[in-house]
Amino acid sequence: MPDAIVCENLVKVYGGVIRAVDGVSLDVPEGEAFGLLGPNGAGKTTMVSILTTLVRPTSGRAIVDGLDVAKHPEEVRRRIGLAFQVSTADGELTGRENLEVAAGLQGIPAPEAHRRIRELLEQMQLAPAADRLVKGYSGGMRRRLELAVGVVHSPKILFLDEPTLGLDPQGRAGFWDYIRHLRKDTGVTLFLTTHYLEEADQLCERLAIVDHGKIVATGRPDELKQRTGGDTVVVKPSHGEDLAPILSAVPGALAVQVIAGAYRVKCDRGEAMVPLIVTACDRAGVEIASVEIRKPSLDEVFLELTGREYREEDTEHGGWASERLGQMRGGRP
Amino acid sequence: MLRELGALLRREWLRYIRTPVWIISSLLVPILYLILFGQGFNYPGGPAQYLGAPNYISYFAAGMVGFVALTMSLFSGANVIFDKGLGIVKRQAATPAPRSVIFLSPLIFRSLIALLPAFLVLGLAILLAHIPGFVGLTISGSVGVLGAFEIVIAVLVLALMFNALFLAFGFALESPQSYFGIVNLLNLPILFTSNALYPPGVGPDWLHQIAEYNPVSLCVNVLRENLFGSSSYYPYIPEVYLMGLLAWAAAFISLAVVLGRRALRTP
Ligand SMILES: Nc1ncnc2c1ncn2[C@@H]1O[C@H](COP(=O)(O)OP(=O)(O)O)[C@@H](O)[C@H]1O
Ligand SMILES: [Mg+2]
Repeated sequence: MPDAIVCENLVKVYGGVIRAVDGVSLDVPEGEAFGLLGPNGAGKTTMVSILTTLVRPTSGRAIVDGLDVAKHPEEVRRRIGLAFQVSTADGELTGRENLEVAAGLQGIPAPEAHRRIRELLEQMQLAPAADRLVKGYSGGMRRRLELAVGVVHSPKILFLDEPTLGLDPQGRAGFWDYIRHLRKDTGVTLFLTTHYLEEADQLCERLAIVDHGKIVATGRPDELKQRTGGDTVVVKPSHGEDLAPILSAVPGALAVQVIAGAYRVKCDRGEAMVPLIVTACDRAGVEIASVEIRKPSLDEVFLELTGREYREEDTEHGGWASERLGQMRGGRP
Repeated sequence: MLRELGALLRREWLRYIRTPVWIISSLLVPILYLILFGQGFNYPGGPAQYLGAPNYISYFAAGMVGFVALTMSLFSGANVIFDKGLGIVKRQAATPAPRSVIFLSPLIFRSLIALLPAFLVLGLAILLAHIPGFVGLTISGSVGVLGAFEIVIAVLVLALMFNALFLAFGFALESPQSYFGIVNLLNLPILFTSNALYPPGVGPDWLHQIAEYNPVSLCVNVLRENLFGSSSYYPYIPEVYLMGLLAWAAAFISLAVVLGRRALRTP
């Protein structure tokens, strides 16, 4: 399979100091669903902006569908589709009119555009609302319209920047269904960013976990989860005692790690481990504040790789109007 | 290129017809000016005071046409700022459409739309002259087809150049505050250094020098010289003023293209 996307040591520095993207190299084969997972401010939107020709990299190279984005931006734009993190539809236009403008900007002749738009409105379940002004759309409808605008010209490569940001779990699951169908029907290459761990897990064949502009791990979701090597039992002592010698001596403890005052004991089965740990601490006369079993998950991977808890926060930054947009989106599910 | 331009012109049109309040106010404001100021400031004097216009209201009404073309353009850049805040410009920039189309479509649409209130004012002023109790614009010259054509071109060119300038500011600036700062800085100085609203003879000499070359003055000269058949009051024929206006337009539009290209360039 030829590569749809190749990045070589991409760097983007804003204002001379903020290293939004800090030496990213990755490749995405054609047809793959690739995900960039990371917390807010990790540099995901900046990555998408570089790959979609909207931001120039400070250094490094990005190749999309065989073309250097810095040298052939217009040709790249012809081949890609993009759904922005914040909805870009025009509220004063209807859903259909938004799609018509988008099709016109892609240079699609009117008869073909109308056929395609009818089909898309149907697929995205927007047909009943097609002739209503978008300012009256719910958050979920706006996200689906944003996706429809992104694929109106049937792109080979589709970029989705946090496509379900601000949706409730039900809306999110519905959106994932659209994406799955789209992939099955068109074989489009998908480059998706998200800060929702579950979304990355559900939709992506391969992931790169990013933090502070750097890739900290790449692999299939199950591979990444394997990396944590089984279950983790997290033990917090009540008075900050050093538990390392006690925990390491517990039979079945594969490794002991301390992150932010919490002891993390790696083992095969957490359930079997908890009684042993409690007994050991008891014997040593150490009072335990909490014991918790963590199953392999992307949260755990992130925590182990970065030393920080993963937080899913719904905050965003953008133009001066983005605050207002956020409120509008939050209004209805 | 044409398909892309068509798509964006249609969007401009749809947005225009969906803001009836703005349409009505943009037509109402110049009419109010004409009725409130025009009727109120009906100063005495004849052609000698008013560059050939038979009375002040005739002089003023012709000036209002240029003034309206200028004020209409101030809204264009504001719209761009709001579109940017909503991500609409970013969406356009992500398509393969030429950057020039993103700039040209509001320029074309807004300049044409500016003609509506501008010529509404002219028509109404002419009508008022025939309504008892009102004063209005009296056409004292013989405007031929060429004259009428020159008038339309002059107003259109004035609208194009100011729209280009303010659109460029709209694309270049990020916040509504800084945009309105620029508008405030330019709008009234441009107006008050022109001969649009008050006649020569008022104010110091250096102001007259500026007024002679002010693009609004040049546009209004084309109107007045044609409407009032008053060539003896002007050193040049209307075509010369039209040329001067075109020169201004070329300069402003070049500046706008430079600013607009910079603003739409990939950061
Ligand atoms: N246009 C910009 N100018 C300056 N800093 C920016 C700009 N865009 C993003 N940043 C900064 O770059 C970093 C990465 O941002 P972003 O790519 O939006 O992250 P993410 O999409 O993962 O939340 C953040 O620190 C953000 O504040
Ligand atoms: Mg982002």
